[in-house]
Amino acid sequence: MLSSIAKPFAALLVAAALISIVLAALGASPLGVFAALGEGAFGSWYACVDTLVKSTPLIFTGLAVSIAFSGALWNIGADGQLTIGAIAAGAIGTHLGGFPHSLAVAIVLIAGALGGAAWGGVAGWLRARRDVNEVISTIMLNFVAVQMLSWMVHGPLMEPSRAYPTSSPIASAAQLDFYFAPSRVNLGMLLAILLAAACYMLLFNTSVGFELRAMGRNRRAATFFGVRIPALTVWVMALSGALAGLGGAVQVSAISHRLYEKLSPGWGFEAIAVALVARLNPLGIIPAAILFGALDNGSQAMQRTQGISPELVQVIQGLVILIILAFDTPAWSGLRENIFGASNDDAAAVPPVAEMPDA
Amino acid sequence: MLRAIAITKRFGRTLALDHVDFEARPGEIHALVGENGAGKTTLMNVLAGSLAPDDGEAILDERPLLAGSPRAALAAGIAAVHQSPMLFERMTWEENLALGGFDTGAERLDLAAVAARGRALAAKLGFELPPSGTTVENRSVAERVRLEVLRALSFNPRVLILDEPTSVLAPSELAAFLDLLRNLRGEGRIVVLITHKLAEAMAVADRITVLRRGRVVARTTPAETSEEKLAGLMIGEVVIQPEAAATKSQAGATVLQVENLKLDDHTGRRILDGLSFRVAAGEIVGIAGVDGNGQTELVELLAGVRQSSDGKIISSGAMAVIPQNRDLDGLILDMRLWENLILARPLRERVTSHGWLNTARALELSRELIDRFRIRAPGPDTIAGALSGGNRQRLEVARAIASQPRIIVAHNICRGLDLAATAEVHRTILDFASDTGGGAVLLISSDLDELLAICGRLLIISRGKIRETSPGERDPERLGLLMAGARD
Repeated sequence: MLSSIAKPFAALLVAAALISIVLAALGASPLGVFAALGEGAFGSWYACVDTLVKSTPLIFTGLAVSIAFSGALWNIGADGQLTIGAIAAGAIGTHLGGFPHSLAVAIVLIAGALGGAAWGGVAGWLRARRDVNEVISTIMLNFVAVQMLSWMVHGPLMEPSRAYPTSSPIASAAQLDFYFAPSRVNLGMLLAILLAAACYMLLFNTSVGFELRAMGRNRRAATFFGVRIPALTVWVMALSGALAGLGGAVQVSAISHRLYEKLSPGWGFEAIAVALVARLNPLGIIPAAILFGALDNGSQAMQRTQGISPELVQVIQGLVILIILAFDTPAWSGLRENIFGASNDDAAAVPPVAEMPDA
Repeated sequence: MLRAIAITKRFGRTLALDHVDFEARPGEIHALVGENGAGKTTLMNVLAGSLAPDDGEAILDERPLLAGSPRAALAAGIAAVHQSPMLFERMTWEENLALGGFDTGAERLDLAAVAARGRALAAKLGFELPPSGTTVENRSVAERVRLEVLRALSFNPRVLILDEPTSVLAPSELAAFLDLLRNLRGEGRIVVLITHKLAEAMAVADRITVLRRGRVVARTTPAETSEEKLAGLMIGEVVIQPEAAATKSQAGATVLQVENLKLDDHTGRRILDGLSFRVAAGEIVGIAGVDGNGQTELVELLAGVRQSSDGKIISSGAMAVIPQNRDLDGLILDMRLWENLILARPLRERVTSHGWLNTARALELSRELIDRFRIRAPGPDTIAGALSGGNRQRLEVARAIASQPRIIVAHNICRGLDLAATAEVHRTILDFASDTGGGAVLLISSDLDELLAICGRLLIISRGKIRETSPGERDPERLGLLMAGARD
């Protein structure tokens, strides 16, 4: 557990060292740049909150990805599921004017979760019943969701003056409160953290979570021991979609308050990196998402004070992921450790089991 | 001459090979015998270059072999056939062969030429290959092993090392296979046969080297020794023979009834053709057959993994299935031992309440089962892939019996196990079906000796059809003919 989090951070240090070389080559001061990055991400109370605001959608989508990947269901569609969740939340949220605050918020969040669940569930159903590879279906559904959002804000949900391609703001009853205003601390962050704990318990402390992990590690054996793969596939994809959709709803309810094109800057894709860095461990998603959120947030300060382009942050992110993957391969390390640590016979000759996407 | 000089290899704290000297001459079949875990496979891996030894060296014809390089070993003329087939599941058989020596090495891969050469060599060896374009994933274990032998021979090697190749062959195939080995010897090649089937070693080997716990304990020849002596050397103690067959005829109530079971594959080919049989409480019923005659599909139907095309399976009570391919179907190798145990629903239910998994109780249950079934593992947290073949099988049997089923369906459960482990598995199965146990067992196997040793009743499966044998029919040769598809 500890080492599963420590290793990514060791990788981060190696990445920082490599970046320093690049920065030095560009004539910038690595220390200055990293100081600006840290200052921008964590330098003040407001910077910290902004980092959390940027991390929250990544926690939701990261959880969505880690749950699906744990079952060897390669959900590349968290972005689309988040978008559909946001559309559902934004569409319903404008009609909740007379509702009590907590009820309105609950309706908006549930709508988002259901929207995302439907979007993920479709891909799950296609996989379970029609054997459609979920990688392809979720990518396609991403396009559909993004275009649907674009059409909504130019059409049915466009604000009344018809001047801007955005929706009307959701009713104030449906908006999550900010605490310690003007900071943007909100209950969506707490919800994300609670869900991470819930996902962890689901995976490691329940029977159905065990079945899900068994399906992920060896689909054939799981089948032999009575795991109902098709039903589980639909449910896992729906749950994964619900988590992403909830992230979209929280974003609308707490931060954006309205829909507009390109609501998601690619959280659903960044989530794959977040989930891999966390090694699919739901509790690891929180620090991993905050790491990526901090890099995003700090990049602005870096640009302001050091004149480094924010694109460099993406270079850092890419390097971090590559180095973490190079540092250790989760599927193999446990096996390797056991073979060389405790084996007492010919088992050492057994090749490790590679994890392959089930095409 | 192939020589290994003072080879030492450690895995962690375990000394797998301890200053092992070994030599095999051209034109001989050299049997390397020993129990599971004796170090046979490790020695093969060192000779074939898959493992670098910690100490010592391997020499072929006075030239040292580059340690730890399979490519160099192949170039020097050493080809190995591994115990667990190393094939590419989702590729066709000719694509698998293309990685062997049949490829011309031209820039353009000529699969047709590879296939033709493969078929020609296979015909010479006396077996057929499936139609072109067939992937490996749905072929039987025996077909996979034959494909691997073929791939190894495609290199035209000076030395052929085979790790337990015969454990997947039916009696009728065995004779042909042993002849094949003799032919290879006749061509002046060095054949190293790793086996723990002593009868085979005695029948075909020119010389025998016995390994025990990583050390050479004897070098001998069939003329100088006997099966009993070899068994004693291998185990280092008295051989445990499985008890005589429980030929009970007063079976209890029917537990499993199969009626007119039919299965067509997706191309419409008939795999199972109207199977009918029943298994009663207290009975061990064997189904003997050459691999690939519908056994795998029958097990899948019984396990509920597949839907039949027609017919009925009526089971009065819980069933536990032990599939034949323990690494692919039976176990999740990169999950822990305790997780593999609770893969069985009845065991999982025992450590679950209201959907919550009680890990502490699961660990406790696993420790009990590790003790009771003598699974050799550091603890319940051990990754299943780190267990030896025998211990993986103990794990599977423990899981099946602890699930407290009315019937156990077991497919080739002793494949690749040594004498002691086989005897132990057999005794556990006999206990389960004894008067006190009262369970029913359907044992599907291609090993006739195994079936004759413990089954009360024997059925034969051939080309998807089943036939009963008369109760007194115990003649291996006649049964072997029936398995090969002969009519009365």
